[in-house]
Amino acid sequence: MEPSPDFVSRVIAGGSEGVVDRSRRDFLRAAAALLVGLNLPKSSLAGGGQHGAGGSGQRAVIVIFGGVRHSETFSPEGLENIPHLSRDLLPQSLFYPNARNEGVTAHFNAISSILTGNWQRVDDWGKIAPTTPTLFEHFRKRLGAAQSDTWVVASNKALTSLIGASSASNYGPVYGANVVFPKQLMVAAVANALRAGRSRNMADRAKIESELENMLEAGNYEGLGWTVFDAADRLDPRVRGIIEEAITTFVRDGGPTSGDELTFLVSREVMRKFSPRLLVVIFSDVEVAHFGSYALHVGGIRTGDRLAYQLWQEIEANAEYKGKTTMVVLPEFGRDPDGSTTNGFFNHRGDTDSTRSTWMMALGAAVSKPQIVERPIRHVDLCATLADLLGCPPMESQGSRLTEIRV
Amino acid sequence: MSTQVQEKLPEPLQDALNKGLLKRLPITFLPFTRQQLRDWGYLFPYERRSILHLLLYLASLNDEQLASLFREVIQLEEKMGVRGWQFSTDEQTIQNASLLARSPYYQDWRKAVQKVFDAADQHAEKEKPRGAESNRLILLAMPQRLPLDRSKVWQGWHGVGRPLRLDLALPTSSGETQSPAEALLSGGDGGRLLEVISRRSNASPADAWIVDAGTGLVDCALQQEPSAAGAPTATLLSHERLATFRQNFSREVNTMRKDLADADAVFDHLRKADVTPWCPAEVASAPVIREFLRTLYLSGNGALIYGNSFVEWSSSEAFRRARPSFLMAQFGVRSKPKPFTSVAVFENPDEVNPLPAVDDLPGSALDAQELALYVWLAASRYDEYRRNTVCLCMAENLSEAYVVAPPEFALWRETEPVPLNRLRAALIHWLADEHPADS
Repeated sequence: MEPSPDFVSRVIAGGSEGVVDRSRRDFLRAAAALLVGLNLPKSSLAGGGQHGAGGSGQRAVIVIFGGVRHSETFSPEGLENIPHLSRDLLPQSLFYPNARNEGVTAHFNAISSILTGNWQRVDDWGKIAPTTPTLFEHFRKRLGAAQSDTWVVASNKALTSLIGASSASNYGPVYGANVVFPKQLMVAAVANALRAGRSRNMADRAKIESELENMLEAGNYEGLGWTVFDAADRLDPRVRGIIEEAITTFVRDGGPTSGDELTFLVSREVMRKFSPRLLVVIFSDVEVAHFGSYALHVGGIRTGDRLAYQLWQEIEANAEYKGKTTMVVLPEFGRDPDGSTTNGFFNHRGDTDSTRSTWMMALGAAVSKPQIVERPIRHVDLCATLADLLGCPPMESQGSRLTEIRV
Repeated sequence: MSTQVQEKLPEPLQDALNKGLLKRLPITFLPFTRQQLRDWGYLFPYERRSILHLLLYLASLNDEQLASLFREVIQLEEKMGVRGWQFSTDEQTIQNASLLARSPYYQDWRKAVQKVFDAADQHAEKEKPRGAESNRLILLAMPQRLPLDRSKVWQGWHGVGRPLRLDLALPTSSGETQSPAEALLSGGDGGRLLEVISRRSNASPADAWIVDAGTGLVDCALQQEPSAAGAPTATLLSHERLATFRQNFSREVNTMRKDLADADAVFDHLRKADVTPWCPAEVASAPVIREFLRTLYLSGNGALIYGNSFVEWSSSEAFRRARPSFLMAQFGVRSKPKPFTSVAVFENPDEVNPLPAVDDLPGSALDAQELALYVWLAASRYDEYRRNTVCLCMAENLSEAYVVAPPEFALWRETEPVPLNRLRAALIHWLADEHPADS
């Protein structure tokens, strides 16, 4: 007998009795039941399909969280932390419950592996560029896409602008993405105010706004580590405008004020102003786990859940994106299991399923039918898949194309 | 370290070193071994015994046996190309850790190294005298202020023990300001926990630890300590009393740029800095504890930032390095992240942002709930805590504890609320029974 939709929605919401005792397999089976027979409305399919010059006309937004475990997200007990992903987005998504990071489970290597389709083993602190071409370079070189078409907006402090382009010969920064670290703006503003004896300003919203904007001045900007339109020494005036807009919203709206919030606001402004065809947004509030606050880690998951949903809403509301965009959400890796010698959720160094096995969700134009694909996939599979989606010729990649994601 | 304790190595170990033991070890074993030998004066008795067993075992092997034991490690070192790295053979560095971790053979190397340690452990186990083992006690306190949720608080323990109802009404003599945990420690008619542990034949400060996010427990213990001339009976760590140490240490850490070489330079500087002036008296007078803290803070895990992380990580490290018979830990309350400036989490939030700190009670309760479990999980990794150990975790706002214990623990089957005096008496009785295991 097919479970009733009401039953399934209770499972997704984690609200029915007995759900907490279900195994992960039962959980997935129940979630899969929701998707059986569902086909998406035409308007959300690839109908946009503007195969214009320089590619397929498709767009891709990749949303990467830091390290989150299944147990705090897609598990019966974790669902309460991801209400938007599990209730609003899962029913219309292609969901891979076992997306594995088989490389180095440190931030720079994990993200650059996703973005190159090859397991990277470079310096953990972003001092060395990925050694094989990124999707940005491939996209720009092969299709002649402009730099304004490729952006990375990231919170993670372990990244540098080298995440935007590789050291591969015949590629490199000339084909790289714009890279912006909004959180670094905040960190630098705090440090600057402290150095200048203006720490009182940090308690005054109006003064915070001016401290943040001061960081965009030529002399300060250089220290932010951004690369925007090839200019490392000054900020392009078009970009300055969108950052100022994001700062104003961040400071004056009275909403939450974490690094990921500012990253979201800048990403949204980038979408509105430049409509990049390939946008990567990297959230990292969850990484407060390194300091041992489980509550703040879970809070970071909830923030990421909400912001990923808001990005999806922006895609749906923005004419440049609606109907021709595929959004992919995935964590960089999991975290270490409770009781491990590496101190459990604090870290992500273990060679365990808890650390290596994550999930991936795809939504939008390239998802013709929602489904749960239980086959394990690898993080390096995403790059080849998106290259194909964007209309690029195949990339040299250790990954395999995910055949379910297609237009 | 600027105030290095010069202590002679045991003679058999020194002999083995004189005969060239270190030259027979794989490259990746050298940083750990050399650092342990150099820091001998700062090792706990348990660590000294471990390193002594390991190195004497290795020294006892002939060339063929040693080659066989290390074959896998050496093969992996060759595959990884360790000789071509900028790999310190003198001490463990962040650079070393980073080089190893990004090698495709890293996980295989870890497993191969583990096999060597397992072989040494098996050898040590065979040689271990079959004596009695003393009872152990892990006592955890989540204070009254933390609003723990009865329906979830023990979920993570997965039924390994059972809840025990408590009557936490304080005896009138304890004074109004004492928490139930402090009252347990400070003693009543039946004696004091620290006195019982200090009467043991092998008593040492490394065998009894008090770890506190605040100051209450440590203040209680300090009042019980013998006069300044007497040897301390316990290791006392208070996150709050260590504020000066943390602030100075954080300031140095915050000068670090995002660069491995720079990180190692800062760490090297911090390894050598004289931290004694930053320490409260109970730490300044105990070089081993001072160095324990230095290493603890260098290893991260939030110990410099949050009191509850400090409690969890220092307890975990105490189990790993010292295997104490008694550890009592009390969690506390952290502040909410301040608007805007919370991204600069390394900084002292009160220095960065003049807005008043606001307690995060629900968040602190969830942190404490998770981290108390982690303390137990850390202990339960070791054989020493798998038998005659009682772990009792108190949720003071719920007047309840969770108990993991062998059936012979007096309160194991108790169904009625247990008053504090009776709880203390049961714990004292448990600790006083020094040799039950083989009786």
